[in-house]
Order: sequence, then C-alpha cells, then structure tokens
Amino acid sequence: MQLEIKNLTFAYNKKEGNIVDNFNLKVKKGEVVALVGASGSGKSTVLRLTAGLEIPDSGEISIAGQTVAGDHKFRAAEKREVGMVFQDYALFPHLSVEKNIVFGIDHLSKDKRKSRVKELLKLVNLEGFEKRYPHQLSGGQQQRIALARTLAPGPELLLLDEPFSNLDAELKDKIRRELNEIIKKVGVTTILVSHDREDAEFMQAREILMN
Amino acid sequence: MQLLKTLKKASPGWFLLTAGIIILLLIPNLNIIINLFGEAGENWEHVRDYLLINYFQNSLILVLATGLLTAFLGAGLAWIIAAYNFPGRDFLSWGLILPLAIPPYIGAYVYQGMFSYTGPLQTFLRNNFQLQLSQQYFDFMNIRGAIFIYTIFLFPYVFLMTKAFLSRQSASLLESSRLLGKSDSTIFFKIILPLSRGAVVAGSSLVMMEVLNDYGVVKYFGISTFTTAIFKSWFGMGDLPTSVRLAVMAMLVIFVVLFIEKLLRGGRKYSYSTSNIRPVSRRKLEGGRKIMAQIFTYGVFFFGFLLPTAQLLYWSFLSRGGGLMETLHFAFTSFLTGGGAAVLILTGAVIIATTARMSSNFVSNLLARITILGYSIPGAVIAVGVLLFMLQLDGVLSFLQMGFGIEANVVLSSTLVMLIFAYAVRFMGIAFNSVNSGYEKIGESYFEASRTLGKGVTETFFKIDLPMLKPALMSGFLLVFIEIMKELPLTMILRPFNFDTLATKAFEYASDEMIYRAADLSLVLIFFSTAAIYLITHHRRRKK
Repeated sequence: MQLEIKNLTFAYNKKEGNIVDNFNLKVKKGEVVALVGASGSGKSTVLRLTAGLEIPDSGEISIAGQTVAGDHKFRAAEKREVGMVFQDYALFPHLSVEKNIVFGIDHLSKDKRKSRVKELLKLVNLEGFEKRYPHQLSGGQQQRIALARTLAPGPELLLLDEPFSNLDAELKDKIRRELNEIIKKVGVTTILVSHDREDAEFMQAREILMN
Repeated sequence: MQLLKTLKKASPGWFLLTAGIIILLLIPNLNIIINLFGEAGENWEHVRDYLLINYFQNSLILVLATGLLTAFLGAGLAWIIAAYNFPGRDFLSWGLILPLAIPPYIGAYVYQGMFSYTGPLQTFLRNNFQLQLSQQYFDFMNIRGAIFIYTIFLFPYVFLMTKAFLSRQSASLLESSRLLGKSDSTIFFKIILPLSRGAVVAGSSLVMMEVLNDYGVVKYFGISTFTTAIFKSWFGMGDLPTSVRLAVMAMLVIFVVLFIEKLLRGGRKYSYSTSNIRPVSRRKLEGGRKIMAQIFTYGVFFFGFLLPTAQLLYWSFLSRGGGLMETLHFAFTSFLTGGGAAVLILTGAVIIATTARMSSNFVSNLLARITILGYSIPGAVIAVGVLLFMLQLDGVLSFLQMGFGIEANVVLSSTLVMLIFAYAVRFMGIAFNSVNSGYEKIGESYFEASRTLGKGVTETFFKIDLPMLKPALMSGFLLVFIEIMKELPLTMILRPFNFDTLATKAFEYASDEMIYRAADLSLVLIFFSTAAIYLITHHRRRKK
C-alpha cells in the first residue's frame, strides 16, 4: 500500500466536534483517488493530515509502508516526501519560475538541477518559462508550475487540493485533460479533492464520497 | 499527541526563544506588583492622605475628556474623508495624520508661547491696536489647555482607525440607506457611528493610554497626575517604594479604561457574510457644504500641524542657527538610539509573531495580549519596573563577578542597555502588530508549500517568510522608530548620565524657557516623524 489511513480522527476545535471521524483509506501505488464531498465534509482536512500540516487526534497514517503519524509518532511535513498542490497554488511571488521549481531540490548539483527544471517544464508544456515570475503567468500556467514544483523532488504521494476550483468552465476541460495526462505519464500515486463528481470521472479516479 | 497539538507546528527552538523574550517583557510589570507588598516608603502616608485624590481626579478628567473629544473629532473627520470628495481631500487623507508627528509636549510649549502675554499674538494686538485681551481666555496652562493640546495632537489615532474601518465597509450599505431616502447626517448617526463604534473606541482608548503615559504636557502646565507624581517621588525624594505604589494606582486607572473599552465594544461583532465588498464610492461636495467641509478639515490641519510648525520655524529663524552643532549632535544620538532599538525590537517581534503563527489560537492570542501590555502601561510605570529589575540583575552580576574573582564591575542600571530594554517592553506590541498583520496578509499556504517541499520551519522562515514580510517590517520599523524618537518619560527616568535625545533636550530647553533652542530640536524631531509618516502612508498606497 502506498497510503494507508486507519481510524483517523481530527477536530480543529473540540467544541465543534470532529471534522474527520474514524476515517479509513487504502491507496495502491500508482492509483488515482478522488475525495468528493461538500465543503465542510473534511476532505481537505484529510489531505492536510496526510501532508503533515495538521496533527491527528487519533488514528494512524502510513506512507509507503512507514508510519508517519499515530502511536505517539509524528513525522513533520518536510520529512514525509508528500507533494501538495495548493488551491491557490502558493507559488513564491519573490522567486522566478526556475527558483520555485528548484526550491525543493536545492540539494542537487547545479547541472542536475538545471536538467531537472528543463525536464519538468517540458512535462508541463511550459518550456522557456524559467525566468518569468508568478505574477506574469495566467491562472492555468501558475497551476502547471505549481505541479512541476511539487513533482520536482519525486514525491511518494501527490495531493491536489481542489485543483479546478479557480478556473472558469471553458478552461476547466482543457486543464483536466492536461493534468490527467501528466499524472498518467509520471505514474505518481495521487489523491485529489473536489466538490464536483464530474472531476473524479474525468480524471478516471476511484471515487470516495465524504459526508 | 495533545501537547503536540496545542503547540501545533511550532518548533522547540522558536518556542524557547519566544518564551525567553516574553518572560523578559513580563518581569518589569510583575516586579511592580510584587514590590507592592514590600514596606511602604516614608512619603507614602503623606501622598496617600493628601495628594492621591488629586492625582486620581486630574488623571481621570484628562483621560476621559480627551478620550471623548478625540472620538468625535477623529470619527467626524474620518467620515468626511471616507465618504466625500472635495478639493484637497487626497492631501488631507494623510495630512490629517501629521499632528501625530508633533509630540504633545512640544505642541504645549508652542501654544503657550504663541498665546501668552508676551507671545506674538498678544504683543501684535497690543502694539498695533492697543487691544488688551482678558488673560483667562488665553491661558493654556491648566486642565482645559492640556485637554485641547492632547485632543488636537492625538486625534489622528481615532481618525486612522476609523478611516481604515470605513474604507473596508461595503458601498451597498450606504447606497441602500440613500435609496431608502435617508439624509447623510441620518446615515452618519444611525449607520456609520454604530457600525464603526469598535474602531472609534479602539482609537480613543489608544489616545487615553497616551494621555496617561504623558509626562511633558502635564509637567509643563503644572498639573499633577500619576506620571508626574511617580517622577516626583523618584527624582525628588528618591523614594522608590512610593513610586511603586503610585505605579500600581496608575495601572488601576488603565484597567478601568480597558474595562470601559470592553464594555463599549461589547456587541461589536458585525461582519459580512460575503467577501465580495465593493468599497464606498465618495460623493462629490458642492457649494456651501464643500466650503464647510474644507473649513473644518483644513482648520484642524492648521491648528494641529501647520500653525505650530510655522511658529517653530519662526523661532528657529530668530535663533539664527545658534545651536546648529548641538542640534546635529542630538539628532545623531536620537537617530542611532531610535534606529538601533527599533531593529532590536523588530527582531524580537518577528520571533514572537513567527511562533504565534505556528501555535494554536489560544497561545497566539496570549502572546498578542502580553506583547501589547507594555503599550497600555504608562512609561513612568514601566521605568520603575525596569529599574527594579536592573538593580536586581546588578546584584546578581556583582555576586557572580566576586565569586569568579573578576574585577570587570559590569553594571546594567543607568546604561543604554537599560533604556533600550525599557523601549522594548513598551513598544514590542506595536512591532508585533505590524509583523502579525504582515503574516495575516501573506496567509499560510506559502509556509505550508515550503514545508511540503522538504524545508523545515527555520529554513522556510529565512527563504520564504522573511522576504515576503519586507513591507510589514518596513512599516513596523518606522512606527517604532517614531515612537522612540518622541518618547519622553522612559527616557527621562532611565537614560544614562549626560545622555540626551532630541526629545529630552527639547523638553529641557522649553522648561527653562529657552524656547528658540527648543525650536531647532523640535523641528528636527518633527521632520523625522513627518518623513516616517509619509513613507508609511505612501508605501501602502503604492502597494494598492
């Protein structure tokens, strides 16, 4: 199993009750899973818990066979090898496209970094964009750069938080197709969160309804 | 797991650093409370039986009257600037902040000098028109005069907060009121005032704290308040225990003010269900209403900034650059002290704010409360607390030095270290608020993105947070810098021997009626503050 979640429970605020309650999930390597549900159903919270951005109240999470949360263990986000594309993309505005992508792989040698950036920009179809800054990109381009940045370190798991919510209807079809292609090409295990069942069908993902 | 969750994502290093700073900030205040249970000084009985009631009365009258007047003046001006268009409006929207550049104690001696029997106004009328004015209307050196001075130089606090609040209001509110056939004055009293009550009260409670903190105006006008009493018992009689007791009483007044604020802000929680807020569009004024608005707004600007500055320029011209070298010397000292201290304070604030962001809501609220504590406590009180703490530290140091046979004889009390530490206690809240609102603007996703890309908290801080915080750091630095430049009571009590800033020297000259010399120093001070205000307001504007 690439990801295994057992009896996961979490509350932002004890008084408001659990937003994630006894949640279980198993994802095989290379699989694409979509968590679908209305807002407030806890689907994004599951992503945040998986990434290590929140600490669960109880339950267990293991990634690639290693327990990262539970049983008095907690592995910080930076040590999980989980990549996440944020809803607002969170491209660092003071860094160029190239530096954004290099951010997670700056331990590599200079040549390796360069070739990796080239390779990723080719993958997301934005060759030659190295020197641009995030504010010079369209919404769809920003998302693809964010994806390239996330894939750069070769994560065990790719998390996509509402990847299509910021796009208008016309663009949406095109982006869904591109994203699907890229993920299939890389073969990375992916969990995406959406409020729209159509997204899951389009991405040929295993659908999990949250309520 | 639960403890981990309370701290949320804070890393232990950041948390320890913050805890250390917070303890340092709290010690002076706790010191005062602990010392209250010590033996009373020899003067305490006399102070308690004969003077205390007077201190209470004067302080309360000053605080409440100024609070009320600034609330009306500040809110009214903010409404005019936010809702109407007229020639000069754009300039006044930042020009009306400028009275803050003139410390009230400078304003006090300028107004007194201008309107006194031998001042330019009365001399002119006497010599040219044989007009003798009734002195009672031109005497500033009483409570009424002090209230005028505080109001005209401190109202921008209310103005700023209310204006910022109004600019975030939705236009549809105003437009629907207008469509329902309400006149503008009805809208102001029925909609705007109740809605912006929280901002007005917040602004005027800042004013009240400034009034209680003030030493210069009341000292110059000869009005006894807690602050002057603390000075007298410490400087005049060397009676620290009595100062401590007075300090506690002053803190009681502050708690009363804060309590009133809480009460008045009570049902303040109005918020919008939509994030889609269209800002208020300003209505163009014509004819009589245009002229009235201009007379009112320019009038306040005239008395709050233009007139005192012009008078200072005239006095400075009369002194013909007499003390130029001296002025430069004090400008340099103030600049260095203010700049250096502001950098240190901002560093502390960044550490606290970064930890606060990574902590649970409870912890981060607590941190915000503690850092702002120093700003609500009068400077003279903090000075007493810091002094007590430094004397204790000196005791420990000399013990250590003796123990290790070192003859270095290091002392902290009455050094620059003590003064800068006191500035930190008092102004950490201002710096923290700037950094914190910077963090709020950035949001959390950049931080989280960096974490998921394999960077730890500290590396993320240096590579992502710090570069993105730059504008907030800039305005935080400027705010703290102006405050330190203008600061009087802390500096007067805690400065090293023979150490003067522009503020202390200007005040000293003014007290000795060497008004021309004071004018030069005051002008430099006002220049620095004006420049800082210009940078802050115009930097924000460009960002938009």
